[in-house]
Amino acid sequence: MSLVLSGIRKRFKDRDVLRGIDLIIPNGEIHGLVGVSGSGKSTLLRIIAGLETHDGGTVTWEDMPLDGVPPHLRRITMLSQSPLLFPHLTVGENVTLATPNRSREEAEAWLARVKLPGRYDAEIHELSGGEQQRASFARALAAAPRLILLDEPFTNLDPGLKSELQRLIRDLVRELELTALLVTHDREEAMLVADRVTLLETGYVRATGTPGRLSETEPTFGDFVELSGTFYPTTDIDVSTEPTSDSLVLVRPFSRFGHHFGEYRRPTGEYVILPRSESFKVGETYYLRQKQGGI
Amino acid sequence: MSRLLVACFVVFPFIGLFLTFPTSLTWDESILNTVAYVIVVGFVNVWLGMGTAWWLLFTESRWKSWVEWLTFLPLFIPVLASMFGMYIVLAQIGFIGTYTGVGLVLLVTTLPYSIRLAYNAMYVIGRPLLEQTLTLTPLTRIVFVLFPLMRESVRTIVLFSTVIVLSQFVLVQLIGAGLVPTVTTRLYQAYAGNDVSLALQHTWVLVSLPVLLYMGLDALFSIWIRLVKGRLQ
Amino acid sequence: MSRSSLWFSLFVLALPFTGVAFLIYETVGFDWSELNEAVWRTSLAVTLYVTIVSTVVSLVIGTWLARTVYMKRSLWLMSLLKWPMFVPHVAAAYLFYLLFSGGFPFYGWIEANERHHLVVIFTYVWKEVPFVFLMVVGTYGQLNHGYVDMAKTLQLKPLEQFKVAEWPFLIKPLLDSFWVLVAFISFAYEVPALLGVTYPELLGVLAYERLTTGLFLNAFESYAVALAWTLFIFSGVIASYALTAKRRRRIERGVRR
Repeated sequence: MSLVLSGIRKRFKDRDVLRGIDLIIPNGEIHGLVGVSGSGKSTLLRIIAGLETHDGGTVTWEDMPLDGVPPHLRRITMLSQSPLLFPHLTVGENVTLATPNRSREEAEAWLARVKLPGRYDAEIHELSGGEQQRASFARALAAAPRLILLDEPFTNLDPGLKSELQRLIRDLVRELELTALLVTHDREEAMLVADRVTLLETGYVRATGTPGRLSETEPTFGDFVELSGTFYPTTDIDVSTEPTSDSLVLVRPFSRFGHHFGEYRRPTGEYVILPRSESFKVGETYYLRQKQGGI
Repeated sequence: MSRLLVACFVVFPFIGLFLTFPTSLTWDESILNTVAYVIVVGFVNVWLGMGTAWWLLFTESRWKSWVEWLTFLPLFIPVLASMFGMYIVLAQIGFIGTYTGVGLVLLVTTLPYSIRLAYNAMYVIGRPLLEQTLTLTPLTRIVFVLFPLMRESVRTIVLFSTVIVLSQFVLVQLIGAGLVPTVTTRLYQAYAGNDVSLALQHTWVLVSLPVLLYMGLDALFSIWIRLVKGRLQ
Repeated sequence: MSRSSLWFSLFVLALPFTGVAFLIYETVGFDWSELNEAVWRTSLAVTLYVTIVSTVVSLVIGTWLARTVYMKRSLWLMSLLKWPMFVPHVAAAYLFYLLFSGGFPFYGWIEANERHHLVVIFTYVWKEVPFVFLMVVGTYGQLNHGYVDMAKTLQLKPLEQFKVAEWPFLIKPLLDSFWVLVAFISFAYEVPALLGVTYPELLGVLAYERLTTGLFLNAFESYAVALAWTLFIFSGVIASYALTAKRRRRIERGVRR
C-alpha cells in the first residue's frame, strides 16, 4: 500500500469538516473522491498535500508519516481547477521549473506527451484554457511526483476539451504507473477516470469500491448504465423513426467522453442508452448515468 | 516576539506626545485656516478623485492613455521642485500670497493620490458590479450605491489628503508668501523659537485633526447607510 | 459628473508640468558649472544616501509586514499599521525630535540632529512603511493563493516559492512605491529641516534656503537644481518602467485571478 489516511479530522471554526477519514490508496491506483460541495473533499486533498494542517489523525506514505513535512518535501504535486501557470514565465519555463534538473529537454518531452509539442516558448495567454490545463499537467508530472492530486481539474473546460483531457490524464497516469487522487463532484467523471471511488458525505467516508460495485450498492451514487466493450454493436443499431414491435427509436444522439451514444426507446416504453460507434475498447467498461426518461 | 517588535516600532514615537503636555489650546487664525483647508481640499479630492477614476474606468477614448499618464506622473515629480516652477507660474497671475493660490497647490499635491486610491478601489469592486449602477441617475448612483460601497476608500482619500495638507510648510510659506498662517507654519516658528510647549500644542492639533476627521466620517457614513436602507424598505 | 471633474482634474494636474516647463524657461542660459560647488556635491551625496536607505528599508519592512498580514491574517497588525498614517510628516519629525532631544528615553545616546541623518531616516521609515504596506497589501489581497500553493507542491524551496509565486506580482506596486518615495524623500524640506544638520544639508533644504535668502538672488541656482533633479527622477521612472514593460504585460495577460 502507499497512501494511508487514518482518522483524519479537521474543524473550521464551529464546523467539523472532516470527522475521521480512513482511506487506503494502493500504489498505481487512480482513486476518485466524490462528494457534493462542503463534503470536505478539497480540504482532505489540501491536507494530503500539506497545504492545510489537520486536527487529528495521520497521513502516511509507505509507512512514513507525512504529518509536519512541508509541502515542497512531500513529492506530491497538484493539478487544480485553474491551470495557475506562472504568468512571468513561458509555457516551457513553467515545466522546466518543476523538473528536478531544470532541464529544457525534459520539459520539451513532457510538453510533447501532453500534445503540446513545440510550444515551449509560447506565452501563457497564447494558449487556450484546455491547452493551459495540459501544460499545467505536464508541469505536475515533470516534478517526478509519487502522488498526483487532481482537484476538479476539468471543471472550467468545455465538454469537448473536458473529455479529451480526462482521457489524456487517465492514460498518462496509468502509463507512468503513478498514484493519483481525483476530487470531483461529477460521478460520471469519477466513473470514467478512477479505478476505485470513495463517496464522501459531510466529512466522513460513506463507501469505497469500484464504480460498478458502488452503482449497485449505493443508491445515492446514482443509477449508472454499464456499457461493457463486449456487447456494443460494431455498427449503428437499427434506427427507425417509427416505433415497431421489435425496433428501437433513437430519441436523441449525444456524445460523452469522445464516444457516441444514443438514447433509444424500446417498444415497451422504457429508455435505454446504447453506444453508436466503434470507438470503445474491448474489455473496458464505461459508465453512464441514466435518469428516468433520458440522460 | 516579532509582533511585540512591530507594536513597539509603531507605538514608540507617540511617547513624544506625552513628554510635555501643552498648557493651553489657543484657537486662532492658523487653526481656522488649517481646518478650512483640510475640509475644502478633502471634499474636492473626493469629488475629483472619484469622478476622474470613474471616467478612466468607464470611458472609451483615444485620449485615455494620455489621461492615465497625466494622472500618474505627478506622483513622481518632487513636490518642492515643481513648486519652484509653480511659484513662477502663480506669480504671473497674481496668486502668490492668496488663499486661493495656497488651496490650488495643496490640491496639486493631493489629487494624484486621490485619483489613484479611487481608481484602485473601483477596480477592486469590479467593473461588472459598478456597471449595474449605470442605469441609475447620477445622484441616485452616488447616494445609494457608490458612496456606501466606497465608504472605506472615501475615508482613506480624506485621510491621505488631510495628512498631506497638514504636512506642508514650504508650500504654504512660499505660495502664501508668509501671509497665510497654518498650524504647520506656526509649529516651525515655535520650533525655531525653542518654545516646546507651543510646538507640542501644534503637534497635538496636527495629530488630532486626521483622527477626528476619520472617526467623524465613519459616523457620518453609518448614519448615511442607515438612512439609505430605510429609504429602500 | 465624471466629465466636469475630469476637466477640473486635468487643469490641476497640468500645473506641476507647467511648473517644470517654467523651470526650463527660467534656466535657459544658466551657467550649469555654478552648481559644481562642494556644498551642492556633498548635498547630493547625503541626499542619495538618505533617500536610498529610507526607501529600501521602508520597502523591505512594508512588504514583509504586508506578507505577514496576508499569510497569517493578522488583522490587529493591519489596524496597528494605520497609526503612523494619521500623523503628518512634520508632526512625525517633531515627535522624533522630542524623543531624541536628550532626555527620556535616549538621554542623548543618539541626538535628534545627528550628523549621519539617522533620525531623519527613522522618521521616514516610520512614516513610509505604512504607505508601502498599503500599496503591497492590496496586491496580496488580489493575489490568487493558488500560485503559492502550486509553488509549494512543485517542490520548490521557500525562497524559490517566493520568487515565482509572489515576486512577479510585487514588481508593479514596489516599482510605483519606490519612485513615489524617492521623489518625495529626495527633495523635501519639512523633515530634514527639523532633524537634519546644517552641513551637509539635503538637496531640498539647501535649494529652498538658497531660493529664499538674499531676496531671491540665488533663485536660478535653485531652479536649476530642482529642474535637474526632476529630470533625473523622470529618466529613472521612464527607464525602469520601459525595462520592465514586457515582463509586466506578460504577467497581466497570463494571470489567473
